[in-house]
Amino acid sequence: MRLSKSRSFQQLGTAALFLLPGLALFVVFVILPMLYSFRISFYDWNIVRPELSEWEGLQNYIQALQDPIFRRAVLNTLAYTLVTVPGQMILGLFVALLLNQNIRGKSLFRVLYYLPVITSWVIVSLLFEYMFSGQAGLVNYVLRDVLHVIDKNILWLADPVLAFVPIHLLGIWKGIGWTAIIFLAGLQAIPQSLYEAAEVDGAGPIPRFTYITFPLLRPTFVFLLVVLTIGGLNAYISNLLITNGGDPLDLTHFVLTLMYEATFTRLDFGMGAAISYLLTIFVFIISIFQIKLLRKQAEI
Amino acid sequence: MKNRSALLTLLGFLLTFSLVLTACGPTQAPAQGETPEEPAPTDEPAAVEPVTVTYWHTMSDPETAQLEVVISAFEAANPGVTIEATRFAYDDFKPALLTSLAGGEAPDSARLDIVWVSEFADQGALLELDTAMPDFAAISAGTFPGPLATNHWNGHYYGLPQNTNTQVLLWNQDAFDAAGLDGPPATLDEFAAIACDLSDPSVEQYGYALGGTYFWAPAPIFYAMGGQVVDEAISTAEGYVNGPESVAAFTLLDNLYDQGCLSPNLLGGGIGTADGHATGKYAMITDGPWMVDIYAGTYPDFTVNFELVPTGSDGTTSSVVGGEDVVIFSDTDNSEAAMQWVAYLLSEESQLMMAEVGVIPTLSSLIGNPALPSYFDVFLRQLETAQARVPHPSWGDMDGAINNAFQRMLRNEQSPQEALDQAAEEINTLLGQ
Repeated sequence: MRLSKSRSFQQLGTAALFLLPGLALFVVFVILPMLYSFRISFYDWNIVRPELSEWEGLQNYIQALQDPIFRRAVLNTLAYTLVTVPGQMILGLFVALLLNQNIRGKSLFRVLYYLPVITSWVIVSLLFEYMFSGQAGLVNYVLRDVLHVIDKNILWLADPVLAFVPIHLLGIWKGIGWTAIIFLAGLQAIPQSLYEAAEVDGAGPIPRFTYITFPLLRPTFVFLLVVLTIGGLNAYISNLLITNGGDPLDLTHFVLTLMYEATFTRLDFGMGAAISYLLTIFVFIISIFQIKLLRKQAEI
Repeated sequence: MKNRSALLTLLGFLLTFSLVLTACGPTQAPAQGETPEEPAPTDEPAAVEPVTVTYWHTMSDPETAQLEVVISAFEAANPGVTIEATRFAYDDFKPALLTSLAGGEAPDSARLDIVWVSEFADQGALLELDTAMPDFAAISAGTFPGPLATNHWNGHYYGLPQNTNTQVLLWNQDAFDAAGLDGPPATLDEFAAIACDLSDPSVEQYGYALGGTYFWAPAPIFYAMGGQVVDEAISTAEGYVNGPESVAAFTLLDNLYDQGCLSPNLLGGGIGTADGHATGKYAMITDGPWMVDIYAGTYPDFTVNFELVPTGSDGTTSSVVGGEDVVIFSDTDNSEAAMQWVAYLLSEESQLMMAEVGVIPTLSSLIGNPALPSYFDVFLRQLETAQARVPHPSWGDMDGAINNAFQRMLRNEQSPQEALDQAAEEINTLLGQ
C-alpha cells in the first residue's frame, strides 16, 4: 500500500484529467444550482430581485414540517413507495422468470413487457385518468355493467384514498418492464452449471429457485430496491396529472407535487427549496439504511 | 480512510439530490436563442437602430395565426421594430416566465392571465406602465373598467387589458325541447328548478355541470347571487365570502348537488363539461366565447346557445371577468419599442383583427361595431356587470381556500356557512401577511 502511493497519485492525476469534463458539467449544472437552492431555502426568496430576499433562517423548514398538508404528502409518498416498489419487484421477477424460459417468441414478449417503460408518463397518466373516470370510465363500466359487482359508479378521483388506486397501479405497471430486464440480466449471470448440478442431485424447481436463483440474485435485489425506492419517493408526474397534484382538498399530494406547487404556483421559492432539501435528506438516510442492511445480510 | 468515506458520503448526498432535481425536469424553460438587439451598422449613423421586441403568450392555434397578421401590420407601421412572438402552453407558462426572470432572460413583453399581474408586479418583475408610458392615461381611459382593474396593484397599473372574456349560460336546445321547455331560465330560481327537471343521475344526465370546484367554475352563479370574496379595499373577507349572499350562492349549488341536479364531475374524474354539454348529458353549463371555436372543431353539428347568466334575488345578472393583460417586464432594454407594441395591441385596428378569431376586445369604443361576430353581443352585455376576481398576489391561495370550502360542503363535511367561515378565516390570514 505504502509502496504504491506515488504510483496511485499518478494514476489519480490521469483519471482526474479524464473525469474533468464530466465533472465540470456536473459542478455547473448540478452542484452549483443545488448549493444555490440550499441558500434559497433559508430566505423568503424574491426570484426577480434576489437582493431583496429576506433571511428567514429555518422558518421554511419549520413551517413545512408543521404543515398538515406536508405531513399528509409524506405519508402519501411513503405509501406509494411501499406499494409500488414490492409490486414492481415481485411482478418484475415473475416476468423475468417467464422471459428466461426457452419459449417461442421470447424477443416479442420482452419487447411487449418493455413497452410501458418507454411510453410517455403524460400519455399513460391521462389514459389511466380516463380509465378511472367516475362517469364514463372503463373500470366503472367493467365493474358495474359487465361484472355487476357495484350498483353505483365509483368516483375514483374524487376520493382522497381511491384516487391512489390508478396512481399506484400506473406506477407498478409502468415499472415492471424495466425491473424485469434488470432481473433478467441477473438471472442470466447465474451459471447454468449450478442448476444442472442441482438437477442431478434431484432438486425440483422450487428448491432450485430458493437455494440458487434467490441467493444469487441478492445484489440485483439490493440495486433494484435502492433505485426503485428513490424513484418512488420522487414520483410526481402521474400525481400531478391524475389528481392535479392534491385534489381533493390537498389530501393527495406527493412531496414533489407540493414542492412544485409551492414554487411555481405560489412563487414561494424558499419553501419549495426547503421541501426539496427535506426530501433529499430523507431519501439519503433511507438509501444508506437499505444498503447497509442488505449488505449485512448478504455477508451472513 | 475516514476522509474517504466522508467524501463518499458527501458524493452520495450530492447524487441523491441530483436525482431529486432531475425528477423536476419539465420545469425548465425553453432556451431563448436570439439576442434581443442587433448592433446598428456603423457606416450609417443616421439610421434607426433596429430593435427586436420579444412577446410571450399562450394563444390558441387560430389566435396565434391571427397574431402573425397583427405583427405584420405593426411592423409595417413601425419600421425598425421586429416582434418576436413565442407561444407557450398555459400550464408551462408561469414556470417558464419565472425561470427566465431568475436567469435575467425575461421577455420584453408578455400576455399574462389577468390573475397573475398583481403576483408578478409584487415580485418587482413588471414595469409601472402608468408612470412609464406617456399615453397610458389616454389608452386606459378607452378600456372597460373591469378588465383594466386587474392591472392595478399597490397604487399603480402594471399592464393594460389586451383581451377580455366572461362566462355566460350555455343551454342545450335538444334537451330543453325534449322536456317541453321554451327557453333558458331568466332567474336563478327557475334555473335551479329546470336543472332538476332535466336531470336523471341513473343515466349520467344532469341539468347543470361545473368544470371543477376552483373559483372560476362557480363564479358566475356566485356573483349573480350577489356574492363577494372581500371588501373593496381588499382588507377583509369576514362578512363577504361568508356573508349571506355568498352563502346563499354556495347553498344553491350544494343543494343542486345533493338533489342529483349538478353533475358529480366537479369533484374530479368525470365527463368534461364541453363534451357533456354537446352530447346532451349536461343540459346547461357556464363557459366562455372560445366554446364557439372548440365546438366548431369537435362537434361541428352542434349549435351552441348563449344566454345571460340568470338573475339573482335582486334581479341583476353578473358573472366573472376573465382574459389577459399585456405587460412589459422591468428588465427590458427595449421599453420604448415595447410600449409602441403594447399601444398597438390596444388599438382598434389590432383589436378588430383579433376579434375575427373570437377574441373579445377591451375597448369600449368597439361596442356595437358591425365587424364583431354576432355572438359577442351576449358576452359584451354580460361584461357590463361581470366582476373581477380579487387583484391580489395571494389570489391563488384565496382561490384554494374557497375551492376547499366548496369541496367540504359537497362532501357534507361542513354546512356552506361553516365551510365559508373557515375560508374567510384563511383568506384573512393571507391578507394579514
